[in-house]
Amino acid sequence: MSTALLRLIEISKSFGKRKVVDRVSLEVAEGESVALLGASGCGKTTTLRLIAGLETPDSGEIHLAGERVAVADRNLVAPHKRKIGFVFQDLALWSHLTVAGNLRFVLASLGVPKREHAERIAEMLQLVRVEAFADSYPGTLSGGEQQRVAIARALVGRPRLLLLDEPMSSLDTELKTDLLAELDALQRQLRVTTVYVTHDHAEARALAHRIVLMSAGRVERVERVGTNMTGKAGL
Amino acid sequence: MVASNRTVKGNALQLGSALPSSRTIILVVAGASFVLVCVVPILYMLGVSFISADGLFTFENYRLLLLDARQRELLGRSTLLGVGTALLATAIGAPLGLLLARADLPLKRMLRILLVIPLVVPPYVLALSWILVTGSTGFLASLIGGSFLSAWTYSLTGAILVLGTCLYPLSMLATEAAARRVNGRLEEAALLVASPRRVLWRITLPLIAPTVAAAALIIFVLALAEFGVPGLLRVRVFTTEVFTAFSALYDFGAGVALAVPLLAVALIVGIIAKLITGERLLAARRNLHPGLILRLGRWRAVVLGLLAIILTVTVILPLVTLAVEAGKPERITSALRSSGDAIHNSLSLAAIGATLIVVLAAFLGYARARSGARLRGLVDLLFITIFAVPSTVVGVGLIGLWNRSGLLGAIYTSQAIIVVAYLARFVPIAALMLAASVRQIPVSVEEAAEVGGASWWRTFTRIVLPQMRAGLISAWVVSFIFCFGELGATLLVAPPGESTLPVRVYTIIANTPSSEVAALALLQASVVLVPLVILGLFLRGNATKASGA
Repeated sequence: MSTALLRLIEISKSFGKRKVVDRVSLEVAEGESVALLGASGCGKTTTLRLIAGLETPDSGEIHLAGERVAVADRNLVAPHKRKIGFVFQDLALWSHLTVAGNLRFVLASLGVPKREHAERIAEMLQLVRVEAFADSYPGTLSGGEQQRVAIARALVGRPRLLLLDEPMSSLDTELKTDLLAELDALQRQLRVTTVYVTHDHAEARALAHRIVLMSAGRVERVERVGTNMTGKAGL
Repeated sequence: MVASNRTVKGNALQLGSALPSSRTIILVVAGASFVLVCVVPILYMLGVSFISADGLFTFENYRLLLLDARQRELLGRSTLLGVGTALLATAIGAPLGLLLARADLPLKRMLRILLVIPLVVPPYVLALSWILVTGSTGFLASLIGGSFLSAWTYSLTGAILVLGTCLYPLSMLATEAAARRVNGRLEEAALLVASPRRVLWRITLPLIAPTVAAAALIIFVLALAEFGVPGLLRVRVFTTEVFTAFSALYDFGAGVALAVPLLAVALIVGIIAKLITGERLLAARRNLHPGLILRLGRWRAVVLGLLAIILTVTVILPLVTLAVEAGKPERITSALRSSGDAIHNSLSLAAIGATLIVVLAAFLGYARARSGARLRGLVDLLFITIFAVPSTVVGVGLIGLWNRSGLLGAIYTSQAIIVVAYLARFVPIAALMLAASVRQIPVSVEEAAEVGGASWWRTFTRIVLPQMRAGLISAWVVSFIFCFGELGATLLVAPPGESTLPVRVYTIIANTPSSEVAALALLQASVVLVPLVILGLFLRGNATKASGA
């Protein structure tokens, strides 16, 4: 599959004696949306952190757009050079910066010319419908609003890969449904390749083309959503 | 006042009963003792400053204070001492704290203990070794044939250098704690778009800046409140003038008026520090997974070299100087013999003081931790402000209040007044420490015991106190170290013929061979260093237990 944007080849990661990720292999095609689904502690978040470069694999290789970015015990490409957007479970908005400031930090860090900042920030905030809060501090926003800001921050740098780590876990069901629909629309519109970590099957089905079921650090099986290719899509 | 509102939260079972609960009674008694011992002397000072010699209301003391050019000079010098010390201590301490929290350094635990030593050795001991090192006939002079520092031995610059050395560990500890509290995910989110260096400057440092600033403010106040160092280095500041006005000139009104600017500064800085830190002052939560680790790489050798220099200049040099000056072991034993009473007094009074402080502070800390947000803010402010009141001011206040006939007089003429002085100065800081430790215990733990039928007293002694054990031990050791080194207040209130080790050193320094003075100072230092090492080992045991869970 030469169009794979992301390739994980037999990656493993242990913390102390506990093997958290165990020879996981996965390919994600350009524009595809994949969900990693599994109970807490199954290694899905660690897999995401390995892709982002926040952890180093013990063995195996990670390729991004054809480039080898990590091998056993070594990250060959630093996290900030991987062009990845990441939405954290606790959102991790920078509390000392405004909403616009959060986005501006990303653009400035990536070397986007200053004159483009205002326009790109406005555009992005509008896309996730939080433009009214550009000058507010994250601490003053509601949970759903913070969620949107976190997504905007992850996307404003135009990453080639968007990683989301249980971004809806702190929201109530109703808000979750709304945001999922929006995220899905956003994904279709921007065509950004996405890996989404969740323990909620419905969430995974709502967003992903493929669902990767993980358990005890291993890939159990892969389901294709909306088709009958694996014969398990009706699950 | 601290305690009376206490039935509000987590104690619904006792609401509505007609009689005050054991909890209310005990906490009210604790609060009242605190007000009596710590607050009243300060209020008394304030009140007296408005009363003239013939008992009438007057602003005369303040008029003199503002008009006198000498006083303005005093204000300028005191401010310089405070600002200079705060800047120096932060310049050394904040980078060290960041390194301890985030750098891939070896032997961090040991480094931390070694670097804290200047804070626990009484400042006057370091001032003494500064004199011995830099003096025209001192260590440096004998080493290189003439001391380029001797012009600064007795100077404001010298006082700033010595106090900066004493207080940098405070900035270091505050910075380290703040850096450990930063949510690692915030840094990781930034690492995905920016280099580690940019993340450090733009995300990590701004997030810990408020705590670093608050620590600098507290250092400013402590420098302003310090008596021993400017006293020994002959730098005339408010604290030394309060002492002179009172003990040499017996001018109570002037002494009090001199103290008021210091009280005002203590209060203002207390408010600012509280505003910028908020609950951070107490938050003890530690983030186990820092996002940004400072990989020193080729800078490692440079950093280790700088650390070695800091340790040499601030820890090894002062202690070695004292040891060399003290000379032969016989000299030390003879010093021990001639000052035996003072040493014995110091040890026993500091132990009694620390114990009483911890008992009172345990109740106050509990009340502080379990009270509503508004009251909490007020109590913190009170604690910080009282801790910032200079020792000589506390001393004068205690004399004015306790030097009477009857029971008060009986206490005043005995060693007990020294213990009262310890309490007046150090209960607030111990209470803040213990409040942090109570906050670690969920209210539900107490409620579970109460629902199970346990009385509050039983819950407190069987459930709460045992869980505070580490905090209680730390608070005792810290209180002991502070009491044992207390100079300014003790110097004023100690009854004739009774003295403690610091007072003895301070009074004999002018007319005793420096070898004997050095021997006593060395003894003073070693007595506090032993508990420090014990505390270090104890905390290590705890940390291993926690991380193993």
